[in-house]
Amino acid sequence: MQNLFAFLIRFRVFLGFLVLQTLSFLLYFQFVTYPRSVFFTGAAKITGQFLSWENDLYNYFQLSAINEALQQENAQLRGVSFDNYYQLQRPTIEKNDTLYQQSFRFIPAKVISAPVDRRNNYFTINAGNIHGIKKGMGVISDNGIVGVVFKVGENYSLIKSVLTSDINIDVIIGKKEIRGILKWNGMNPRIGSITGVSTDVNIPKWSEVRTQGSTGIFPKGLLLGKVQAKERIENQSLWDIRLLFKEDLKNVHCVYIVNSLIIDELEQLQQSVPKDNLE
Amino acid sequence: MKTYIRYVFLFCIFLFLQVFLARKVDLGFGIQLFLLPLFIMLLPFQTNVFTLMALGFILGLLADSLMNSYGLNASSLVLFAYLRPLIFRTFTPKEGYDILKTPILFDMGWTWFIFSYGALLFIYIFWFFFIEIFRLSEWFLILRNGLFSLFFSFIIALIVQLFFPKQSLS
Repeated sequence: MQNLFAFLIRFRVFLGFLVLQTLSFLLYFQFVTYPRSVFFTGAAKITGQFLSWENDLYNYFQLSAINEALQQENAQLRGVSFDNYYQLQRPTIEKNDTLYQQSFRFIPAKVISAPVDRRNNYFTINAGNIHGIKKGMGVISDNGIVGVVFKVGENYSLIKSVLTSDINIDVIIGKKEIRGILKWNGMNPRIGSITGVSTDVNIPKWSEVRTQGSTGIFPKGLLLGKVQAKERIENQSLWDIRLLFKEDLKNVHCVYIVNSLIIDELEQLQQSVPKDNLE
Repeated sequence: MKTYIRYVFLFCIFLFLQVFLARKVDLGFGIQLFLLPLFIMLLPFQTNVFTLMALGFILGLLADSLMNSYGLNASSLVLFAYLRPLIFRTFTPKEGYDILKTPILFDMGWTWFIFSYGALLFIYIFWFFFIEIFRLSEWFLILRNGLFSLFFSFIIALIVQLFFPKQSLS
């Protein structure tokens, strides 16, 4: 017993150090592995409030740029609005469309914190549980994908942005719709990398990269950016493709959370596949 | 008493500077400016190592919750505080430490400050990036982010000290 006390006293500094380090790491793993706990993250109410005050202040200096972006989006949407088309055959157009079913709804939100200099970047938005946000929903802006909802608080949520190491979004490249997987290598927030494309296929420079929409989280065909360069991965017959994002994620302000109305049906269908046949 | 209030005030100032200013500076190349270690650095020489670690932990935790960095700063600051006495012992001046002085640039001179703060900040930053990235296969990213951040964080620590009063803090 005396030896134990002697040991504890002798190494008390190091033991104190170990205790505090363990606490820090617990916090880290709690963040990574338990998405429901929102303590000490931007999805918590107090910190969310803080971030939104801060954002209000910074936004004030960027109002004109944000306005311009919204105006452009408005103009574009006005272009596709039904009201602006001349009806050729008036009686046949009905409002209750039986041919098309709405499959996505969009919930608008504002980004209040968007770091891009980390290895894994999590954004905070000012919409949460009470606005109908749920974990796993997609988040887009008018220039492409922003990320996927990671943690949901009462009024704020945390987004796992495309600037994280294991975001893995299915994309299609070019007119031939070649499939690939979007990742980020941490080097430059404007450039993503696409893997899983065989070197058999030729990929022209500046081919457009769009979402594949296979998981139902994102709508199909959303433009993400263009192919900037490609390089063969050493010892593998795969391309390492550099994708220039259309969206400058550093300056993203207005986003839409994608509420997919078909995702439950899709998941149910995919679950009904017998497991043995997957191999 | 007056000294305590001064350090509480500095604690808040550093937290504010880190979260609202240093965090917002965007230099690219994965550069992050770290100001919090400077607060642990400038606490008086005779400060107990437990006090240092506890302060580092609380400061790190507050910063982490405001910056979505989930325990990274807390862990790195505790390491910084733990190693501070060791590094100070390594770089003891010939005549020993004067209790009336504080570990800042104006009190201790350029050579001492560059060596001791440089060494501590080096450990702090590489520990931070190593935990954050957590893949040895991405060593180039750790190296690039670490070295650039080290350089700029050191410069910013020098600039911040220009605004200190020229006499000792304690």
